[in-house]
Amino acid sequence: MSYKITEDGNIATVHLDGEIDMDVTEKAKEVIMPLIESGKEVHLNLKEVQYMDSSGISVLIESHQKAAELGNRVVLKEISKSV
Amino acid sequence: MTFSESKEFSVHSSSLKEIRSFAREALAKHDIFKSSSDDVVLALAEAAQNIVKHAYSGQETSDNLKVEINFNNNQLKIDLYDKGVPAIPSNIKPRNVNDIKPGGLGTFFIGQIMDEVVFKTAATDWVNHLILIKNY
Repeated sequence: MSYKITEDGNIATVHLDGEIDMDVTEKAKEVIMPLIESGKEVHLNLKEVQYMDSSGISVLIESHQKAAELGNRVVLKEISKSV
Repeated sequence: MTFSESKEFSVHSSSLKEIRSFAREALAKHDIFKSSSDDVVLALAEAAQNIVKHAYSGQETSDNLKVEINFNNNQLKIDLYDKGVPAIPSNIKPRNVNDIKPGGLGTFFIGQIMDEVVFKTAATDWVNHLILIKNY
């Protein structure tokens, strides 16, 4: 998995690329959670995600829950057919 | 059409990508799996992930797991073998997915994708034997 972050005002977009499985979910959380905790609205662009299993879905759910706790939100963008 | 492929992998999260590649390559050789390949790979990967996560109680191991992919009489049968803690089938149930929370989705996906899921005690050198069946 690789990623790129772009920011526009208070919106941080994380472009994920590759296959999201148990082996990379900790890395994904290390990228996503600090952005959420900093108060940004986080957009997760999944266009280049070729595979995501339940561990990846769990990251999406955890991200959403953390954002909601902080009164913010996580938005999924360009969800790939695989996802 | 009949085929059979088998391979062992180390029980580690880094093997999951290799397991998926093994399954994709095996299924890609035959048109019959074209529309279901992604789903079958997901089910297998979820089962393998469960071995990594649960069969060794989070402990590192040098053990392998084995994946066999067989197709015969229009039935795809995937056998997974491991040497971890003996599974208790009654403890392995999909949870209510309407309760949106992380975790516990793998078993649900497996049940949705495959036509049969059978837990057995392995007959030979292995401990657990999981069978995933999909009929075509």
